[in-house]
Amino acid sequence: MSSNHRVHDIGGTEGWGAVPYDPNEPVFHNDWERRVLGLLFQVLPHTAKRPGEFRHTLERLAPEDYFCADGYYGRWRAGMEVLLDEHGHVDKAELDNRLGVPHGTSAGYRSANVAAVNPKSLPPDRITPLPERRTVRRELKEPPQFQIGDRVVAAGNDEAGHTRLPEYVRGVAGTVVKIHPAEVLPDSTAHNHGDRPQHVLCVAYQATDLWGEDAEQDVVINVDLYENYVELKEGAS
Amino acid sequence: MSQGDDHHHGSDPNSPEIRTEALEDLLVEKGLIDRARVDALIERFEHDLGPMIGARLVAKSWLEPEFREKLLDDADQVLKDEQIQGAEIEHVEIKANEPGVHNVVVCTLCSCYPWALLGLPPSWYKSPEYRSRVVREPRKVLEEMGMSLDPDTEIRVWDSSSETRFLVLPERPAGTEELDLEALTQLITRDSMIGVAEVKAQ
Repeated sequence: MSSNHRVHDIGGTEGWGAVPYDPNEPVFHNDWERRVLGLLFQVLPHTAKRPGEFRHTLERLAPEDYFCADGYYGRWRAGMEVLLDEHGHVDKAELDNRLGVPHGTSAGYRSANVAAVNPKSLPPDRITPLPERRTVRRELKEPPQFQIGDRVVAAGNDEAGHTRLPEYVRGVAGTVVKIHPAEVLPDSTAHNHGDRPQHVLCVAYQATDLWGEDAEQDVVINVDLYENYVELKEGAS
Repeated sequence: MSQGDDHHHGSDPNSPEIRTEALEDLLVEKGLIDRARVDALIERFEHDLGPMIGARLVAKSWLEPEFREKLLDDADQVLKDEQIQGAEIEHVEIKANEPGVHNVVVCTLCSCYPWALLGLPPSWYKSPEYRSRVVREPRKVLEEMGMSLDPDTEIRVWDSSSETRFLVLPERPAGTEELDLEALTQLITRDSMIGVAEVKAQ
């Protein structure tokens, strides 16, 4: 059984149909989608201000809201409903009252609470120069612990907090192919536990290692992983 | 639905139009948002941003080998030099297609995308079908989307799981040798820079 309990973490999951592809798709299909985009940019500064916080809000939606019939902008609207309720701006009942429907239609009735993430499960914070502008990038004085060519494995954990480690690479060995600029750790910032900046590794996985020998040949999947996610693969040459 | 049904589309409280409007009205009444700023933001996303920004970089790299080299080596510096700024391009990497190598971009965990280079992502990019399948069976997904690759071509999938954003540099099609920057830019589609289509000469 998969230990995947995260609604959004769907890379490599099976049972999905054809991609709903339209090469001539318009930017918006409906006017309400425009409004949702415009609203979100003014709602977030009042609600989810930290890196990863809005993503985690979407991840906490009930599956029927995450995969709602209104598509991606419907998901954003559901996320706003949750955030506005949690931050005390628009109570979940208030929206139902305005719509004149029985209580219970707002996404906030179905979403999971923010998980309590123990800061001890996170890597220690480190002092970095404060950037002049708002950015997730940080200058670390410590060099990366890994080098290009290292074989690494991400064990992952089953905590319900926010993370950018996709389930499908857990426990599989990959090769570090590049080191990106250091960033704040979203697993920490989303839960208000500080920046805890990390070097970011681009790790290349062979499709046959991820999916088995029947996988498509000559396919490499590159995944960006915060350095604290991985360790050296034991016995790697 | 019969005529005279009270729950026709225009007043269904669960229709996306009505829910969005109710939410917007509440936010305006509470002074949390300013409608004029919402309008301005929509205007910017719909008209000022879009794939033409990325397409110009691609076209220029086809015409100027030195520019191409810089773009592949340090895209952040090129974007700075070209005064391209905006959302979701804090750190950008350009992945060049070449004979025998094809690149394709996804975000399996959400829908990360280089907004300031390509505009807002299309629905299919954000769909669970694309996000789940393109890491497991990219050759099949690309074929279904109309792009048949030689079986010997290596596919490199880039899952946007950190704040790095990826843009594919497609190959220049034959028959475009006479075209200038402007004409080439017109040929380069959004989908070719995500990696699900090739650029066609016409």
